[in-house]
Amino acid sequence: MRGDRPWHHFCPGLAPKKPAKRLYLAAKMLSNANAGHEITATNWQSWLSRSPFLRFIFAGTCVAIALGLALLSEHYNFHNVEVPLFLFAVALTAWYAGSGPAALGVALSIVLFDFFFVPPIYSLTVTVGEIPYFIVFISFACLVAWFSAVRRRVERELLQARDHLQMEVAERTQQASLLGLTHDSIFVRDMDFFITYWNKGAQELYGWSAQEALGQHSQELLRTEYPTALEEIRTELVRAGRWEGELRRRTAGGTEVVVASRWSLRRDEQGRPTAILETSNDVTDRKRREQEIETLNRALAAGSKELETTNKELEAFAYSVSHDLRAPLRHMAGYAELLQKRVSSLMDEKSHRYMAMILESAKRMGNLIDDLLAFSRIGRAETQKTQVNLEQLVKEAVSEVKQEASGRDIVWRIGALPVCYGDRSMLRLVFINLLSNAVKFTRPRPRAEIEIGCAEGSRGVVEVFVKDNGAGFDMKYAGKLFGVFQRLHQTESFEGTGIGLATVQRIIHRHGGNVRAEAVVDHGATFYFSIPGA
Amino acid sequence: MEKLGRILMVEDDPKDVELSMTALEDYNLVNEVVVASDGEEALDYLFCRGRFQDRSSDNPAVILLDLKLPKVDGLEVLKEIKSDAKLKMIPVVVLTSSKEEKDMVTSYKLGVNAYVVKPVDFHEFVNAIKELGVFWALINQPPPGSVRK
Repeated sequence: MRGDRPWHHFCPGLAPKKPAKRLYLAAKMLSNANAGHEITATNWQSWLSRSPFLRFIFAGTCVAIALGLALLSEHYNFHNVEVPLFLFAVALTAWYAGSGPAALGVALSIVLFDFFFVPPIYSLTVTVGEIPYFIVFISFACLVAWFSAVRRRVERELLQARDHLQMEVAERTQQASLLGLTHDSIFVRDMDFFITYWNKGAQELYGWSAQEALGQHSQELLRTEYPTALEEIRTELVRAGRWEGELRRRTAGGTEVVVASRWSLRRDEQGRPTAILETSNDVTDRKRREQEIETLNRALAAGSKELETTNKELEAFAYSVSHDLRAPLRHMAGYAELLQKRVSSLMDEKSHRYMAMILESAKRMGNLIDDLLAFSRIGRAETQKTQVNLEQLVKEAVSEVKQEASGRDIVWRIGALPVCYGDRSMLRLVFINLLSNAVKFTRPRPRAEIEIGCAEGSRGVVEVFVKDNGAGFDMKYAGKLFGVFQRLHQTESFEGTGIGLATVQRIIHRHGGNVRAEAVVDHGATFYFSIPGA
Repeated sequence: MEKLGRILMVEDDPKDVELSMTALEDYNLVNEVVVASDGEEALDYLFCRGRFQDRSSDNPAVILLDLKLPKVDGLEVLKEIKSDAKLKMIPVVVLTSSKEEKDMVTSYKLGVNAYVVKPVDFHEFVNAIKELGVFWALINQPPPGSVRK
């Protein structure tokens, strides 16, 4: 409908909002008929205006026709029609051919009038008494010509103005349809908040069609919640001509939307505010995600604070264990020792053994506490990760462990080991623990064999194993192996506090790796651990 | 070794005091040991305050300082000693149950002269105390202004 309504263009103010179909068709037919007529006239005129020569021919022709008609009427005894006929010819010339040819028409008319109609006929002589008559004729002809010319000029200007207007309207219509295409919601309201424009984006966002929204009070329709008082926004808008902010609104379906809204103020020529153009887009999802992130962050902050508190408590606990549990042990050992010294001569063999057991237990308790503290320290200490040459590290660990195993027949096999990424001192502790275990549990063997090597790990991960031909263990208990204070052998056969493998596991876990073990009772054990490669 | 230095032992646990005394007995060092049972008392002694205001103003030859003490703890006592112009020359030996690295680092930063962890084993404990007593009260030349018998 937008493209074919030329009849509106002459008087856009009169264009009805919704023309009835029949009326519209009638108007269209009329406008088409007009258009046909106009086209013929326009072509003829443009043909005339192209050549000045033709215009003068036109003037001559008109006057000649007037003369012919006058002579004909004279012949049929119709007198005194020659003057109106000549005036008509002049008027016609002025209308279609312009003022120059009209002047020619006036001159020709006077001469022909004098020659054919003023006595003496067929002569150009003019008596003095006829001069006023001629002057009146000339004046009247000129007046007609002038009226025609003015009328003609006005009409031409009107037509031009119409064409110009038509073009402008076409352009505006196109712009308006482009505005309608955008996905951003755009609507315009007057200073009393009544909606005067509503695009497709606004329809998509809020759910009302343009027909439903136009003329409505935007505040009542959208139930807007403003971030600040509306008066402040108005002041800002009038001061700066624009305002930006987030608004909460209700859609036609009743759901709440959050929109990022930009307002621009439109002023009339006197600078008075006339309308507000509002562009907005839906940020409900973004807002919701932001809120979720904020909630998660808060939870995380609370969690890490809790963790920090727990860590502090753990530290305080470890400190207190370190001090307060060790002191009574020292006293027990000390007083037992003093007692032994005093009554040594009175004690029998059994008493000596009891005393020895007390002292040994105190010492073992001391070792347990020390190991437990060391274990807890590993969990709390910061890891300082660097490139670690595992082969070199294993050689160091082996030479340290060898000192404990002097006099034993042990075959060490150290395979090629890669460079990995980790905390050197912690990884050293891993090897010391695993190798000490291997040395300890191969004690019953006349010839111990301990192998350290690298198994094929997946990409970026190094898997190291320590294999021995020692006592092994029952795979049934493999799950207990890495627990704190878990022991799979009796203290009489293999001493230890049961913290070594727990320490190994804790260190490897802190490196993001895994530990596992395979064993057969009396046929040795293999311990595997994985850590990130360099 | 003709003169014995006075030892200030700051220790809240009477059992530890008794066991330490047993160790020091062998070298006749006991008579020269002053015991303060908490940090406040130790500071009172060193600054000649409270019940110590009438004592001779000489400094002890060595202070054996436990860290975990009632009222004012060992590290605070150490800080006070090392920030006092007159007292900061006194050798201070921290003698503690704690193996905490943090305590050790803090102590050394505050200027402690030795850091000893009390061994659980009685023999080791006795040896440690004896050696400390002998070294600081007999062998070491204390700074001027210390009590010597």
